[in-house]
Amino acid sequence: MSMGSPPDDLTTALAACAKGDRTALRRIFDREAGRLVTVAERIVRRRDLAEEVVQESFIRIWTQAHQYQPDRGSARGWIYAIVRNRALNLLRDGSREYTVEDVEVLREREQVDHVMAAWHRLDRTSRLHDCLGALEETKRRGILMAYIGGYSHGEIAGRLRIPLGTTKSWIRRGLSALRECMA
Amino acid sequence: MSDERVDGNGRGDIGVVADEYVLGLLDAADMLRIEADLENDPDLKAAIAASRERFLPLDETAEAAIVGDQLWSRIETGLSAQHAGSTGRHKATANDNRRGGWRATALGATAAAVTLAVALTFSLMRTVDPLVVAVLVNEAGDIKAIVEDFGNETAAVRLLADFAVPEGKTIEVWTLPSPERGPVSLGLIDDARSARLDGPALPKPHDSQLYELTLEQTGGSLTGRPTGPILAKGFAKIAR
Repeated sequence: MSMGSPPDDLTTALAACAKGDRTALRRIFDREAGRLVTVAERIVRRRDLAEEVVQESFIRIWTQAHQYQPDRGSARGWIYAIVRNRALNLLRDGSREYTVEDVEVLREREQVDHVMAAWHRLDRTSRLHDCLGALEETKRRGILMAYIGGYSHGEIAGRLRIPLGTTKSWIRRGLSALRECMA
Repeated sequence: MSDERVDGNGRGDIGVVADEYVLGLLDAADMLRIEADLENDPDLKAAIAASRERFLPLDETAEAAIVGDQLWSRIETGLSAQHAGSTGRHKATANDNRRGGWRATALGATAAAVTLAVALTFSLMRTVDPLVVAVLVNEAGDIKAIVEDFGNETAAVRLLADFAVPEGKTIEVWTLPSPERGPVSLGLIDDARSARLDGPALPKPHDSQLYELTLEQTGGSLTGRPTGPILAKGFAKIAR
């Protein structure tokens, strides 16, 4: 699957942002904002909230661009992490303007559709696909629900109808197996 | 790097911790601990970076939504506001990829101030000992208040700084007994003065439980959840 611009462009753009070049931020926006909105929406389950997350994230990208260090991972990984963190925060403890109940109700609707859709779209030739594919179904699901949908241990346990403690240890074991497989 | 490494903070397997952090599976207290440790722990930082890279292909499966120029305009407006405001603040957090500089700062300050809190506790309530004490700090890490939770539906808040409370507003005290339950109001502080609160029946307060003060409309938040800006927050320590 083609992933848009090569990461190098994003690295360059971040460096330019750090020097105060707003057109560089706009370049990042043009390339990534659409996908970032979708990533955030998978977690917060509402388009307007997702846009808000992305809006705040771009301000953060701008103010923290000078802290990005290429030897600590890709520029894309850094940018996506900012958006993911903001989305998760909104969900977990940040829901200042939207009550927790609100968000939960929204999350019930589409259930795990997003999660499985993402899994099916994952590049089949990728290592991640191979290694996730090698996991037991439940472990794979749990990991995907957490990463893609922002589900908590409790939510995953509820959905998969397994006890919380078991869920935690299965996911933990799944993650270890995944790390080993991808090492 | 060995996956089996147990670090000095007793966090266990650093690889697991990094993954759980990236997946958003840690509870609030662990999350804060990780963010506070990040700065001085290159191994942890590297493990988190590696974990992000491992999972990034899943984000890359996302189909790009169509975003209008409106979103960009809002960002630009935000940038200008940012610029007009304090410019030095973000540089001060010499750390990358933090979930919120606010919280890490708060955590550091809290740890440093626990001794102070315990000393103050002694003078506050001589007859009954609180189960936990939380030192609440503002975004800059300045100590603003102390909450003592007695675990018997009463808590005491001591304000250690002046709060500007506009007309029609009040300070509301919150705690987070568990992420499942969500934030619970312990009561309002009228007149922005130290106060004793009679809160709802809650499970016994635990170590690292979150307490915070927010600015709400007079009478308190209507939604039963914090809606206004956070004035100060901090994590409980068990009183010993």
